[in-house]
Amino acid sequence: MSKEEMFKELADAVISCKKDAVDAAVEKARSEGIEPAEIIEKGLAAGMNEVGIMFERGKLFLPHVMLAAGAMESGVTILEADMPKDTASKKLGVIVNGTVEGDVHDIGKSIVSTMLQSAGFEVHDIGRDVPLQDFIDKIKETNADMVGLSALMTTTLPGQKAVIEMLKEQGLRDNIKVMVGGAPATENWAKKIGADCYAENASEAVAKAKELLV
Amino acid sequence: MTTEYTTRMGDGQRIFMTREQILADLKEGMADATDLGEIPDLSEDELDKLVDIIAMPARMVGVEPGKEVPVTHDIGTIRIDGDQGNSGVGIPSSRLVGVMMHERAFGADTMELGHIDYSYKPVKPVISNEQQTMEVCQQNTIVPLLYGAMPNLGLYYTPDGPFENPGDLMKAFKIDEARASIEGAAKHATRDITWIMQKMMASGADGINFDTIGAAGDGDMFASLHAIEALRKEFPDIYIEAGMAGELTLGLHGDLQYDGKVLAGMWPHQQAEVVSKAGANIFGPVVNTNTSRSAAWNLGRAVTFVKAAVKASSIPCHVNMGMGVGGIPMFETPTIDAVSRASKAMVEVAGVDGI
Repeated sequence: MSKEEMFKELADAVISCKKDAVDAAVEKARSEGIEPAEIIEKGLAAGMNEVGIMFERGKLFLPHVMLAAGAMESGVTILEADMPKDTASKKLGVIVNGTVEGDVHDIGKSIVSTMLQSAGFEVHDIGRDVPLQDFIDKIKETNADMVGLSALMTTTLPGQKAVIEMLKEQGLRDNIKVMVGGAPATENWAKKIGADCYAENASEAVAKAKELLV
Repeated sequence: MTTEYTTRMGDGQRIFMTREQILADLKEGMADATDLGEIPDLSEDELDKLVDIIAMPARMVGVEPGKEVPVTHDIGTIRIDGDQGNSGVGIPSSRLVGVMMHERAFGADTMELGHIDYSYKPVKPVISNEQQTMEVCQQNTIVPLLYGAMPNLGLYYTPDGPFENPGDLMKAFKIDEARASIEGAAKHATRDITWIMQKMMASGADGINFDTIGAAGDGDMFASLHAIEALRKEFPDIYIEAGMAGELTLGLHGDLQYDGKVLAGMWPHQQAEVVSKAGANIFGPVVNTNTSRSAAWNLGRAVTFVKAAVKASSIPCHVNMGMGVGGIPMFETPTIDAVSRASKAMVEVAGVDGI
């Protein structure tokens, strides 16, 4: 089996969302002498990217994304023994995500958290209707690289701007990226309030987080 | 110099485009819809017609004589009084006055009574108040008056309801538990919606509007379809309007089925079929607006999706048109140039039966 065929088998195993299939494909790739980094990058991660695309197109759904992420994690665990310490379990970045105060919308924000988590980020979802100071506290506590601010109502949108102002006041703004989203948020709104990016949906949130943090 | 026409971005920003640019964006939006939904392209004539509509010189446009369609409003009863920055105009008035203004001054063909919380679940503790208001409205108007709210399965999950939040469970890889939570919540929502409508029908309601079916994913849709089925069985003449939340039914559960069809991943033309099968009278397709794209891109996409839904549907389609849906920019008070153009396009190109 060529390397390319092996990578495809690994990716297909992730897309199948089956842990056993991923474990078997990883063991097979190891026995063929393929480097762990290559197995992850060109096989497992490529499969996860495809899962993300299928989610965006309505062909796979949230439970499948989580099952695929779990299967991939299992494969990475097998490879950890072959990898230098600390590199295997390294997360892509730490993200604090929540819906701003006054806004009880939860589902869209939760989908974004799940997709970010399955893409390899360490995500701290602090819920909905979150007091603005709680974002700051969690950012400090986790030493976050990015904060995601969701707002689903025009009346709560200013909460996103307020958090950015608080980050500036407390001298944290230069060390953290800010992503905004939610139905009334737009690219122009993100620019206006000084956010680093705006994401239209969960898949875009993952792509932009990777762009900014990886 | 090439003539440029005033149009909008999806966030309402004013932009200028040539006919060629408008056509290119319409085609790109259409291609996105045909690719995702696996539905047919619009014809060249239809695309030309859309370009003509966008490029019309008048600020506000209307449909050609003879092509007028019924227009209904959802939360309009409290839109007059509403004063929370939620599209309300803040004029002190009762919900009765809201209904009467829409019937007698604004030309609404059907109207809806809704509670300020606008989800079915919170109506339970105020049901007597809602029944009384429905009765008074019915005594003072002749417009068909529905009772309406969101199925909003989210209110059945912690911290608002008895079932553990499937989003949290999912993040902890508890997939089976998340699915069980969604199934439990759906049963409760079906029961609540049916009970509320039993009360409202006893108070003279003409029917029900399901507003934003699927907002909380496929479980939300599952609950709504079963409520539609139960209401049709109990009230054979009830008027049921089933409006969606978006063009794609989000799969939070992923395996829920109705009539042997998986609900997750359904596009408008597929949603229309199950809604009709459940017993609704009207299907309300929704296509959300992408704020980073032009109005032309959004309109090309929305019209393509809705046209396919109209074709597939065995019941009339009343498309959702408003802030951030139906090719209309996402803006607190959508501009009349964009609203009227998108509405004309939906009637004359997508062939909708109402708005």
